[in-house]
Amino acid sequence: MGIVFDGISKVFPDGTAALHGLDLAFDTGEFIVLLGPSGSGKTTACRVLAGLEHPTGGRILVDGKDVTDLPPRFRGMGMVFQNYALYSHKSVYENIAYPLRVRKMAGTEIDRSVRNMADLLQIGRYLARKPSQLSGGQAQRVAVARALVWQPDICLMDEPLSNLDALLRLHMRTELKRLHRELKKTFVFVTHDQEEAMTLATRVAVLRDGRLVQFDEPKTVYRRPASRFVAEFMGRPAMNTFEGMLYAGMFRAGDIACAAPGIPDGPVVLGIRPEQVEIVDSSAADAVRFEVDVMELVEPDVLVFVRSGTSSMIVRTPNDDRTFAHGEPLFLRFPPAALHAFDAVTGARLT
Amino acid sequence: MIDRAASRPWTAFAWAVLLVAVVVALTPYLWIVLASFKTRVDLFSSAPKWLFSPTFANYPAVFIGKEYWPLAINSLIISLSSTALCILIGAPAAYVFARADFPGKEDLFFFFLTTRMAPPISIAVPLFLFFTSLGLIDTIYAVVIAHTSFNLSLVVWMMRGFFAEIPKEIDEAAVMDGRSRLGAFVFIIAPLAAPGIAATAVLCFILSWNEFLYAFILVAFEGRPLTVGIPGLVTPHGTLWGQVAAVAVVATLPILIFTFLVQRQLVRGLTFGAVKG
Repeated sequence: MGIVFDGISKVFPDGTAALHGLDLAFDTGEFIVLLGPSGSGKTTACRVLAGLEHPTGGRILVDGKDVTDLPPRFRGMGMVFQNYALYSHKSVYENIAYPLRVRKMAGTEIDRSVRNMADLLQIGRYLARKPSQLSGGQAQRVAVARALVWQPDICLMDEPLSNLDALLRLHMRTELKRLHRELKKTFVFVTHDQEEAMTLATRVAVLRDGRLVQFDEPKTVYRRPASRFVAEFMGRPAMNTFEGMLYAGMFRAGDIACAAPGIPDGPVVLGIRPEQVEIVDSSAADAVRFEVDVMELVEPDVLVFVRSGTSSMIVRTPNDDRTFAHGEPLFLRFPPAALHAFDAVTGARLT
Repeated sequence: MIDRAASRPWTAFAWAVLLVAVVVALTPYLWIVLASFKTRVDLFSSAPKWLFSPTFANYPAVFIGKEYWPLAINSLIISLSSTALCILIGAPAAYVFARADFPGKEDLFFFFLTTRMAPPISIAVPLFLFFTSLGLIDTIYAVVIAHTSFNLSLVVWMMRGFFAEIPKEIDEAAVMDGRSRLGAFVFIIAPLAAPGIAATAVLCFILSWNEFLYAFILVAFEGRPLTVGIPGLVTPHGTLWGQVAAVAVVATLPILIFTFLVQRQLVRGLTFGAVKG
């Protein structure tokens, strides 16, 4: 039981192909994050699931039932929009009550549900206000309350946090996680922010150019990215990658040479996360020499931007008050276990 | 400060132009209002009389004596019905133009406007023949339909802008909340566009209320509106200017009132939403 995207394609009338045979299946109760850069098709995927867009190919299954041709109101899904889409002529109370009124629920029942939901989202004080009198964060809460008040099985959220300021975004993120835990509904959350994906998701679906690139738990997406694209998309700063040749367990790219056991010979893209690069003495056996370019303080860490010939990379290391001067030589070690290898042409993971 | 000093002559000039425009526009109206209270003697005095002892005889003479009051009712029925029809047909059409995408959309939209580009008189005769063959000639229905037909394009053009201003996520939110597409339009979008709908309706009402040509051609006795009644006072024995003025004053009153009430929305509607605030 769960939700299935069965080969969903979407070509818009203007010829833009947003989705190319998307296959994705997940269980009810999960918190699924659709992650990708703009134009990856993540929003389209969410809208197809909602029924706001009709796919040009494929089927959507909910609990085994084909809902592809079902209008949104029969799909049992609530939705939160990026711009909140509150009804500006109705009070906050009536906004939240609206899905219940449409479903002709009894007045006392409506009142109870609205107040419960408002309490859960801490907007009980604003029920009499008009949406124009709310701050962004409050409007966002009202939108979430409206989407969830009628207890839909699935809650869809299309970049719900991107219009909030940074602090509020962190706060709402935690709130959403709490809501998911308390309501035990299926959440489908669209974002381009990998941090939101990492913190919220039970599983992350990474999309690129309308195709699913990887679908895994957040830690797996981070630790074993399925492709060079995912590797470079996840993590801030991004994973360092080098395009080079591998021969007999040794990787070479320009002046860089390091041991990379267990990877087949040939052209390869080698990647390593900035925090997994080790700073070592010049005497260390497998040290690679770089020169410091600039350093940035990201407390409690420090980012050191280094270069060697045409290659450059970022090292993330705990800040121990050591200063890295421009031009200063820095010897680095790439622990073999921390290396990721990707196909030089397709970008697919090799190991 | 310098800017303001430099622009002062221009401001004065602008005011002068406005003043001239207002005088030119209001003088005839003032003349009509005064004339409606004048006796025949005062009306035909060789020098215009600004001070005179007013008579209130013209109003009862024409509205009761000549039984013109049903014409006001006719005007009201025609204007209200054609406005209602225009909004009922035009608002959904405008909504579709604001939201949907279909081949030839902009061409069709422009075609609606072209229906207002021909001089009204050029289709007067075809319209007469058309309504004659329908058997609707000299009925109030003919006027209602004629007015609806020429106001419809205006409604579609004005309302599209009002609907386009409403984010389409609002429709989608309503659909997700359990409405059908039609339900979203009727219960959420139309109420949100209510100020625009009201402004459009007032404009329709004014245009229909003021209309003379089609009404004059399509009805002679039954269902005559006020505008058509006025020429009836031009008799072979002379024109009853006092009574003409009395009818004209009554005929312009609703327009005055409505225009003052919704002038802001009217301007916004006519500029297709360009004026904000």
